Amino acid sequence: MQISKIGWKTVQFFLAIVFILLSWWIFALLLETPAFPPPLEAFTSFFKSMQGDMLLHLRISFYRVAASLLMAAVLGIPAGLFLGKNPHIDQYISPVIYLTYPIPKVVFLPVLLILLGIGDLSKVVLIALIVFYQILVTTRDAARNLQTEYIVSVKSLGANSLELYRHVYLPGCLPAILTSLRLGLGTALAVLFLTETYATSKGIGYFIMYSWSSMAYDKMFAGIIAMGLMGFLLYIFLDGCERYLCSWLNP
Amino acid sequence: MTYLDIESLQVDYRQKNKKHNVLFDVNLQLPQGEIGVIIGPSGCGKSTLLNVLANLNQDYQGRVNINGQLPIEHKGTALILQDYGLLPWKNVWNNIKLGLDIRKVSKEDSKMRNQAILNKMRIADLKKRYPAQLSGGQKQRVAIARSLVLEPELLLMDEPFSSLDALNREEMQDILLHLWQETNLTILLITHNIEEAVFLGQKIFVMSACPGTIIKTFDNDIAGDYSSRGKVEFLEMCNTLRSYLRKEN
Repeated sequence: MQISKIGWKTVQFFLAIVFILLSWWIFALLLETPAFPPPLEAFTSFFKSMQGDMLLHLRISFYRVAASLLMAAVLGIPAGLFLGKNPHIDQYISPVIYLTYPIPKVVFLPVLLILLGIGDLSKVVLIALIVFYQILVTTRDAARNLQTEYIVSVKSLGANSLELYRHVYLPGCLPAILTSLRLGLGTALAVLFLTETYATSKGIGYFIMYSWSSMAYDKMFAGIIAMGLMGFLLYIFLDGCERYLCSWLNP
Repeated sequence: MTYLDIESLQVDYRQKNKKHNVLFDVNLQLPQGEIGVIIGPSGCGKSTLLNVLANLNQDYQGRVNINGQLPIEHKGTALILQDYGLLPWKNVWNNIKLGLDIRKVSKEDSKMRNQAILNKMRIADLKKRYPAQLSGGQKQRVAIARSLVLEPELLLMDEPFSSLDALNREEMQDILLHLWQETNLTILLITHNIEEAVFLGQKIFVMSACPGTIIKTFDNDIAGDYSSRGKVEFLEMCNTLRSYLRKEN
């Protein structure tokens, strides 16, 4: 039963890949432009570029995205849990979040470039700032909506505040936290691309735009594939984290 | 010897600057090693009373004494909630071990105590399961195990068997009675079920609603007898209690 379930999933996955490649190939045939090469050409270029300098750009982009997700999680998860657990404090913070949440934080890129320089830090901080909000709001709402019986029962065992976070709030909110991280990942990659098109000569975003401006479309597509694969691998990693850390959801 | 001594207990609940009187002038005495049962209509503040005893609510007036100590000083109280309060993210073993972890019991000691209570409650083969994989009766056993592993003196139970079917409920009542006879626990239990009150409660406290107070205490000699169910005295006691509750509501 378990094996056939896994087997069916693999087939579904394989069919999805075939469908994407097929659609891509048909589009390329229809468009007939060097700016949209067919899959085989693009993948050949991808493997060739991976042996060249693209790997370096990919490594830097990966570092930026991973560092910003980590920074957002390290700040957003405790803050969200704290506000969710303490509604009397949240009532003062909540309006601030409500007012600043809809502001597209990406507009602060120039400010951050001035304040933190054109290095990695400004890029990491900008992405982290955006993802931080998503994690903060999701975690806070999850903590706020935890069933009171869990809290009461653990309190009645003599738990202090720290133990409540450890045994109730963090594990109880973990599924929501991981969902917000997965959603945040998509945003992070989009913002990463944007930040890498300004004032830098490293990163996969730069690689794509540089290839574009020098009309090396095959290289440009190699960069796009690299970016897509990086997102995919990070997504799989978060998925694996959920399966491992939240195994109780599907016992 | 009076183990649980409550005198003129009053609990207010504030909502939008309005004061609601949840409990008023509650007086209750329960000797050590006895089972007391509280019965009364919904919303009469029964759970609030247990919260005060379990030190989850310190905002009360009046005198509450557990074995000569205030609820905040008394460490030997365990509470079992209506919905069991098991954490869905911990398996049976870790749910039971939780209280021992919180009390910083050594690893070996806690492992030994955990295994012993699992065997006693006959749930050893469930230890790797999560609460979602358990039936109502099994969850109840785990919840009782989690309380008993801490070796409490006072066990508070908030409608513990209300979501079980009739057979499971009777089985759990027998198990509780058996545990009580073994451990000399003092138990205070809330129920809606008249038969349960008569079967278990050596003292039966009848509460009225809005504000909640104890209006009558019955001394029940037939409690704690496995064969009492169906006997004439048992049915008579049930009828006395039933007619009293009807009159009051």
